[in-house]
Amino acid sequence: MAPPPIVTGLSPKEGPPGTRLKIRGEHFGSKPSDLIGLTICGTDCLLSAEWKTSTKIEAISGPIKGTGEVIVTTRLGGVGTCNVTFRGYFLSSIGPLKESAVWVEEVSSWSRHSLSPSSFQHEDPLGLSIEENENKISEEDLQSNYPGKCGDIGSTNFSPGWFLLENHQATSFHDLDAGLVHLQRKVQGQKEGKLSFLKANMNSIMDQIDTLSNLREKYEKDLSEFGSEPTLKLEKTIKESEREARKLFDDVLARKDRAEKTRNALSVLSRFKFLFCLPCVIERHIKKAEYDIVINDYIRVKNLFHKTDVPIFREALKEIDKRIVNLQKKLHADLQTMPITVDQQKRLIRYLVNLEAPYDSAWDAIKSRSEYIHTKFRLIYDYYKSMERPESGKKVVTALKQSKLNDSQVDENVPPSCVSFTKEICATLSEIFPDLWKIGQAYFSGELQVKVGAGRQVEYKHMVLDVIESFCRYARATTVPHTLEKHHRPPSPSLAPPSRDDLAFYLPDLLRSVRSTYATLIKLDLPNEALDIVSHLLLDLRTNCMSILFQQTAEQIKQLNENWRISFAGKYTGISELPLKFLQLVEDVLQIVKESALSVELRESSLLDSPQAKKELEKQVDNILTGFYDVLDKLSSGEGFDDGDDNVPVVSQLIGSPMSTYKFVPSGQTCPSWEHRLLITLSNCLFARNTVMDAVASKFKETGFPSVESSIKSAKAKLRNLEKSILDKYLEQKSDPLVGTIEPSMYLGRFDWDVSTPPTDIRPYVKECINNLINVHAEVTNISSSLLDLVLPRIVETIAEELYRLMSCVQKFSKEGAQQARADVEALQEFFEDYSSENARAYFKEALEAVEGVQGSDRTMVDDILSRCRVRMRIQMLCLKKVDENS
Amino acid sequence: MAKKPTVQPALHKVIMVGSGGVGKSALTLQFMYDEFVEDYEPTKADSYRKKILLDGEDVQIDILDTAGQEDYAAIRDNYFRSGEGFLCIFSITEDESFQATQEFREQILRVKNDENIPFLLVGNKSDLDERRKVPLQEATDRAKQWGVQYVETSAKTREHVDKVFYDLMREIRARKMEENKTNNGRGKDKNKKKKRCCCSRWLGCS
Ligand SMILES: Nc1nc2c(ncn2[C@@H]2O[C@H](COP(=O)(O)OP(=O)(O)OP(=O)(O)O)[C@@H](O)[C@H]2O)c(=O)[nH]1
Ligand SMILES: [Mg+2]
Repeated sequence: MAPPPIVTGLSPKEGPPGTRLKIRGEHFGSKPSDLIGLTICGTDCLLSAEWKTSTKIEAISGPIKGTGEVIVTTRLGGVGTCNVTFRGYFLSSIGPLKESAVWVEEVSSWSRHSLSPSSFQHEDPLGLSIEENENKISEEDLQSNYPGKCGDIGSTNFSPGWFLLENHQATSFHDLDAGLVHLQRKVQGQKEGKLSFLKANMNSIMDQIDTLSNLREKYEKDLSEFGSEPTLKLEKTIKESEREARKLFDDVLARKDRAEKTRNALSVLSRFKFLFCLPCVIERHIKKAEYDIVINDYIRVKNLFHKTDVPIFREALKEIDKRIVNLQKKLHADLQTMPITVDQQKRLIRYLVNLEAPYDSAWDAIKSRSEYIHTKFRLIYDYYKSMERPESGKKVVTALKQSKLNDSQVDENVPPSCVSFTKEICATLSEIFPDLWKIGQAYFSGELQVKVGAGRQVEYKHMVLDVIESFCRYARATTVPHTLEKHHRPPSPSLAPPSRDDLAFYLPDLLRSVRSTYATLIKLDLPNEALDIVSHLLLDLRTNCMSILFQQTAEQIKQLNENWRISFAGKYTGISELPLKFLQLVEDVLQIVKESALSVELRESSLLDSPQAKKELEKQVDNILTGFYDVLDKLSSGEGFDDGDDNVPVVSQLIGSPMSTYKFVPSGQTCPSWEHRLLITLSNCLFARNTVMDAVASKFKETGFPSVESSIKSAKAKLRNLEKSILDKYLEQKSDPLVGTIEPSMYLGRFDWDVSTPPTDIRPYVKECINNLINVHAEVTNISSSLLDLVLPRIVETIAEELYRLMSCVQKFSKEGAQQARADVEALQEFFEDYSSENARAYFKEALEAVEGVQGSDRTMVDDILSRCRVRMRIQMLCLKKVDENS
Repeated sequence: MAKKPTVQPALHKVIMVGSGGVGKSALTLQFMYDEFVEDYEPTKADSYRKKILLDGEDVQIDILDTAGQEDYAAIRDNYFRSGEGFLCIFSITEDESFQATQEFREQILRVKNDENIPFLLVGNKSDLDERRKVPLQEATDRAKQWGVQYVETSAKTREHVDKVFYDLMREIRARKMEENKTNNGRGKDKNKKKKRCCCSRWLGCS
């Protein structure tokens, strides 16, 4: 058996008769026929009851006054219970003109007129007031004490006890007694009443009997007059009059009908106002962009009316649909109008999904984003393309005007358009690509609540890769064009690639831009496949950056100028600024390369892991070192310096004073003589080989480059060769004239070794020779004393050789001549002792051997000459003495 | 049919107040029958009662769903008198309904003459957040000022619906316990009387 029904809710909980009630509760059965009983406050209301659901019944209250329960009875559950109570009351009157807060059904299921008010007014049979007698005993209690009885006087089960307890609990015994007397009297009166009544009214009773017999007479007369059916005519007449009466009221009734219809129509209108107003409402909300409301309304109206067959509703729905379709179109268009934030797009997608738009909106949003990026690239590209033409023209002019002025300053202000272009596409990608990625993620993660189409994953991947590839292509075209394969070149005409100097100036900057874009992409957690495209670009870019920077440095090295000023102040003496400048350049470029190309950022491999980059590096290092070598080589070859006066005759009488060969140019530029330049360059070479190269090598190592030892070694070897050739040149320049003067000087004034005058002093050619050597000594010392050991011994050697040649060519020595020759050679031998090589010593010895022997007093004479000479030429002698550093 | 007098579970009388259309009936029906009524039918006065388990204790909740429409304003006083706790509802999508809570609060305090009457301020229709007109802050401020709890509900999604009814009943229960304590003497007397009444049945009563 099903559980008994229970009533737990009443809406409303009170009302006058005729109130429409919603009764809620549980177990009201499963179909209308399950409901077999309903009482409201004891009154049966089953007739008006309408079963709605198993928890809801609607009914109309009957003529109830007072509070009571609502009991539902079902076929399977039986009589139910009730938690709540209904209170019925009478309104004074509810006429058609009276305002009422509740609906009083016009067609009542009960007739008010049939009610006799008296039946509700209890008149106490005891004739007592029941005013203050409120019932304190519940019906249940009475039931249990008087089973099967009731307190209704009219009932056959009447129980006086019940009645008294119900109505007279508070009445005193005395009053009850009096009541009993009253009741008895009334009963008595009823019994005696009939007879005395007849007696008292005898006359009128007789009158009544007379009247009745009169009436009978009259009727019988009529019967004979009008036949057997005397009422027929009467009936006809009555019918006639009824028809007439109806006619009178037809009009009124028709009006009433019309009014009814109008009212019905109005109520329909107001009930469906929502539907009919919706097109306007939707339009208004669309104008105000309150799409949520529109969607809400639309879904509601769809739920309510989509199955309707009523033509006017269909019409209205069509109107609404038309607007909704327009709205969908508009939203769809908005969705694809860039720029737009991801959140806005998401919102629009949600709207479109809610509106059941026939678009694949989420996918369209993604597509439009990707197209947007491409278009943006194209736009930026076109813009810079258009900027380029006039600019390059202008550049030529300015370049002409300020040919020698500081170019870099101009460039700094107006970077070449391809540089700006690259920077801008980097910024653009960083700015708008993340949105494409985000919306894609939202799409595939189901956040957009749309079905992901088949194959979309792959398509999306291609889309993303395509965008990134396109970005890389553009970037490559302007920064590393040589890495682009032909068919990948962007649509021609491409932007003019910048000059190498520009590129070197801007590349580190561009590298930074690309890197920051790369970092943005990494943050997005892109798949490796996509990131790798950029990382390849970066590697190429870095390699190129390094290469370009080195190339530029090599170029700068080539441009290095020698100012021939020798620094005595620094740690190194006897060198000009050239090698230091070179070192500085190298250090600078290494610093820049280290900061830009060499540095390793997030998700980058070390640049030099790439064999290509490594090869490039070696090439560039060689380039730089060779560049420097070439500079030195050029300087020593004397090219570009033979402008006239510089090439003064060098030897003065034979060799001029070294100081006078300097030419002081007002600008402060000093251009020394050719020999000086050779010496300076030689000194620089030595310095470069011994110090600078090692510094460069260690700098490379310090910066983190792999060993460049082999390049350095070959550079050193080349320098050594260069030194040799410079030295040869210098010696050629110096010793040839010096040695060449000996012979003419020796035979000056037709001198003959076969003389008879005894010698008194060494001959002038000897002194001249000594002085010339001192001159060379001075010149070299002027540059760097460290070169003395390289230069002087070689000269001394040639002098000795020449002496030997001359002596061995003499045909005949007189005694005096021999003395003279001995004194001359020995003097030279003594003066040049400190700078004599083995060879020189041998030549001196052989020269002496070529002179005939001098013995005894003759020898003394020679010694005398020499000792005198030593005294006189003390200063010259000291000049050519090697100073012991330690003393 | 004889029915023994059983110990009836405690009865807590809750009254729903608030402007018309804010969702009093919707909340009540959601709580009572787990259903959401889309259509708006103005209420006059509805009564609901059912047994529930409140923190492990059987209690009965009696809900009086009153009329929000001004047409019925006059009969409110009468209803408020019988209430032991109030859910004062407004709709977060309608500022007027929020302003009206002030009047309801005043009327309740006047009728009940009790500052600490169990009372919850309820902002309904939280599912329509995008149409919100009453800022959360403003509502919390008002609740704080009154010293009552503020909860946002949705009769549509059932969010916090149980919470407001249960929280209110807990307040009512706590309140009654407090009262019992203070009225201890009288309370006992009453109990005794009742007991006597039961033992000797109605015959002994006068
Ligand atoms: N979206 C939404 N609609 C609600 C919510 N609560 C009520 N409604 C709607 O608001 C309208 C009015 O709700 P009712 O519960 O009948 O309002 P009421 O407060 O009882 O109004 P009165 O009986 O006149 O005082 C109905 O159309 C409900 O569907 C809610 O939380 N969310
Ligand atoms: Mg309501």
